[in-house]
Amino acid sequence: MTEAAPAPANPVQEARGLADRLREIEFDPRMIGMVAALAVIWLGFNWLSDGAFLTPRNLWNLWVQTASIAIMACGMVLVIVTRNIDLSVGSMLGFVGMVVGLVQVRVLPEIWGFEHPLTWLVSLLLAMALGGLVGLLQGALIAYLAIPSFIVTLGGLLVWRGAAWWVTQGQTIAPMDSRFRPLGGGVEGAIGTNASWAIGVGLCAAICIGAALIRRRRKRFGFVLRPLWAEIAIAGLGCAAVLAMVMVANAYMLPAGVARRLVEAKGGTWPEGGLMVGHGLAVPVLMALGVGGVITFLANRLRFGRYVFAIGGNPEAAQLSGVRTRKVLMLVFGLMGVLVGISACISTARLNAATNAAGTLDELYVIAAAVIGGTSLAGGVGTIAGAMLGALVMQSLQSGMVLIGVDAPLQNIVVGIVLVLAVWLDGFYRKRLS
Amino acid sequence: MKRFVLAASIAVAALSVHAGAFAQSKGPVVGVSWSNFQEERWKTDEAAIKAAIEKGGGTYLSADAQSSPAKQLTDVESLIARGAKAIIVLAQDAQAIRPAVEKAVNEGIAVVGYDRLIEIPQAFYLTFDNVEVGRMMAREIQKAKPQGNYVFIKGSSADPNANFLYQGSIEILKPAIDGGKIKNVGEAFTDQWLPANAQRNMEQILTRNQNKVDAVIAANDGTAGGAIAALDAQGMAGSVPVSGQDADRAALNRVALGTQTVTIWKDARELGRNAAEIALKLAGGAKLNEIPKSVSWDQGPSKQKMTALFLTPVPVTKENLNVVIDAGWAPKAAVCQGVAAGKVKACD
Amino acid sequence: MSIAEATDIAATHPGQGTPLIEMRDISIAFGGIKAVDGASVDLMPGEVVGLLGHNGAGKSTLIKILSGAYKADAGTIRVDGEEATIASPRDAKRHGIETIYQTLALADNVDAAANIFLGRELLTGWGTLDDATMESETRKVMGRLNPHFRRFKEPVKALSGGQRQSVAIARAIYFNARVLIMDEPTAALGPAETKQVAELILQLKKQGIGIFLISHDLHDVFDLADRVTVMKNGKVVGTARTADVTQDEVLGMIISGKCPPAAVAGPGALRS
Repeated sequence: MTEAAPAPANPVQEARGLADRLREIEFDPRMIGMVAALAVIWLGFNWLSDGAFLTPRNLWNLWVQTASIAIMACGMVLVIVTRNIDLSVGSMLGFVGMVVGLVQVRVLPEIWGFEHPLTWLVSLLLAMALGGLVGLLQGALIAYLAIPSFIVTLGGLLVWRGAAWWVTQGQTIAPMDSRFRPLGGGVEGAIGTNASWAIGVGLCAAICIGAALIRRRRKRFGFVLRPLWAEIAIAGLGCAAVLAMVMVANAYMLPAGVARRLVEAKGGTWPEGGLMVGHGLAVPVLMALGVGGVITFLANRLRFGRYVFAIGGNPEAAQLSGVRTRKVLMLVFGLMGVLVGISACISTARLNAATNAAGTLDELYVIAAAVIGGTSLAGGVGTIAGAMLGALVMQSLQSGMVLIGVDAPLQNIVVGIVLVLAVWLDGFYRKRLS
Repeated sequence: MKRFVLAASIAVAALSVHAGAFAQSKGPVVGVSWSNFQEERWKTDEAAIKAAIEKGGGTYLSADAQSSPAKQLTDVESLIARGAKAIIVLAQDAQAIRPAVEKAVNEGIAVVGYDRLIEIPQAFYLTFDNVEVGRMMAREIQKAKPQGNYVFIKGSSADPNANFLYQGSIEILKPAIDGGKIKNVGEAFTDQWLPANAQRNMEQILTRNQNKVDAVIAANDGTAGGAIAALDAQGMAGSVPVSGQDADRAALNRVALGTQTVTIWKDARELGRNAAEIALKLAGGAKLNEIPKSVSWDQGPSKQKMTALFLTPVPVTKENLNVVIDAGWAPKAAVCQGVAAGKVKACD
Repeated sequence: MSIAEATDIAATHPGQGTPLIEMRDISIAFGGIKAVDGASVDLMPGEVVGLLGHNGAGKSTLIKILSGAYKADAGTIRVDGEEATIASPRDAKRHGIETIYQTLALADNVDAAANIFLGRELLTGWGTLDDATMESETRKVMGRLNPHFRRFKEPVKALSGGQRQSVAIARAIYFNARVLIMDEPTAALGPAETKQVAELILQLKKQGIGIFLISHDLHDVFDLADRVTVMKNGKVVGTARTADVTQDEVLGMIISGKCPPAAVAGPGALRS
């Protein structure tokens, strides 16, 4: 090589640091940090609880306990990305839950009697519709009347909690329809081992095919590709996570009495030495994963999501680019409401009762989950997967502390400190990266 | 929405009734300062108080503090200003309410601390015996399961009643615990009294003990519902005795179905009626210790010598469910929903 | 159209066809203050018109009315001689009017492609975003404007001032604009980048695109513009062909509102 050698043909190929490398393979290092934090928390509790934390049973419970908050956190990410906030979700959950309870236990039985096969579906759809309407109403006030979302939803926090009380004058409604209860998990809400394997393998295939399709498309346009090893590693990790989840859920055995009841109900005979029957994945967990997938698709692959992020980055620019910002904003709150409706069904079904205090303080846990998951309160930045992980981190802390016998006041102290710490670390990390 | 409109019009109507009362006020005026109306039961109390006051020729005035200790201070002052001769106070915050109660006492106005303790010797204290509620729960559960692993799902750590309840239960169970027959395998406060929190706590306790739990003392019906949902997920609902209190409809239904063993019924109408009668007597010039069945009591946090009346609650089990139905507390249809014929006497 | 106005156009564009854009007697007030007061400007195909004036003279406001960001209180806008209603940025874009704002109006948190196609995303047959095609198109258009640009996957907030400017320009020219509004396009740029923008303007002009160039700096505009319109206190001082006037005369229009004989005086001209 002489000194007259031409400049490198591809100026991209320069020396670079680890952050750049990670960026090149499009892997979010903050996500790695969250997973690492979760691992530390899990291992820590497992040690403190003499191995009771990392058991199939506890993890299964943990996922079910997380589902309701995780679903709402998905919507909250979009709300916060548009530089807004929704303080009313906990109260809305209480209100929608009460209405669903009332309809299911007092209204529908009048029409078609108790235990009708469609009661659960009508309840779920009604909850989503009612939540959506409430959300759209609040969204319209925020978007078209330009009342700050903090104020509108603070009002909503009071209004819907009061409304939840009015539905039955504070009476608790129970029990729920037996086909509705699986939405909340429990023995009836476990789909069994075979179905769980089918779902796991299906998801795995979807991950691999999806990655291959995207790679082929990028290749056709001649874009820079991730190194093949990174592609395989990422798909492999995704698959491993899914299959591990299925294995854990399947390893959680049904209590013998329940298993026997189920076997005999299917006309089988209960063997002498007993039979080990696994739970399999829980319905609410599948619902949460489904919602996470749908909202991620909405956020990343549809115009709506693109507009949500653009509005968060620069509302004026979005408007000048011809985005109907007010309509998008209203729809974001409507979507939040639909998700609250789903969560209302899960928590009502799980408790097997509709109570007017349901969802109290949930708004704070939902916001905290989104924020721990890397959603910036300044708007424009946030991921659905991060928020769901954030919800899991918080629930792990709370459930883990109960498991090792830490009492309620101290739990709150720890969760509060973790929230502040997580946001500080995230900000610190962001500054260093840019 | 219709309910909403209805509710709003009732609220407006109620306001105008109060205004009317202020205008007339013939007999002794009795004011009631409520902490908040967000809970099912206080409406029942109000109806009972109002009926008893009006029966005694008095006039009923009320104010709702909406969970704000600050608002309750001004509420009490405004009740005094509106001519109340006796005030019944359901304290939101036992300490924060003191200045207002002291002021009332100094002006010679009788004060009845309703359900929650206001530790000022000149004020009367009327409540159900919460320690006794705890004892009753423990007695009923012990009757069902004399030995084994007990779990205590306690109330909110911010509520003194949660501790009274726990004290009462432990008092009954102590000999058995010391004798090794009963083992406390887990206890947890329920933040905010929320059923969902009780459920999560119960799930974790079951996990920790590999389901080796034989009985649950839950502090009220809401937390009992949460604990039972957790037991149900392990196929244990119905085989593990669970206590509760308040006799709310969902709990009565669970008692009928057999998943809950007992709910302690504190008849709010009794409490309300007694409060009204005491208030009227005090407004008429009676001394605190002239109230029938009143006792001297100094077990409060600061050991003040109080004059108090403790009402005795009623434990409701499958055997005596007819008590609540006969009293009109809960309709039979709600209590007996889903109960198979011939299983529960009260439902046949 | 009044006779006086007709003669205005005749005087400034002898022998030319229908103007691409005519804005007539445009007024807008914010809270009682008239930001634009009876202003009229026009633009022919392939012409560069400089809009000059001090800060607060009303030039940016006038142009935001054309781009749909504001709605005028009074006045008419004609596109190709036909009266047009421009109530929103979407309307303006439908008429082929694209704007590069002084603030650039970029969503800082998303990448170049997302900004360029914002509000006009390309979709696949499934109705989902066609990111691959959009990225590919972005590479093409950015390749023309800024051949060294490589940071396609990063949010635009990570880009340099010049790169951000390129993204904003790319967004304006990609959709076959017929009218381009450039509000202080070189304010944030160094000399080399400024020269690039000037070359781009000449190139676009050759393609028959009409360009409004807004600046408070006379020198930037004078060499590029065919005509200049000067505004002061919301009113048009006058319009002149750059060939007919000197820089000093235009400076006089900007500072004192005095109209030289070679310019057509507007309602804001100083009456002597």
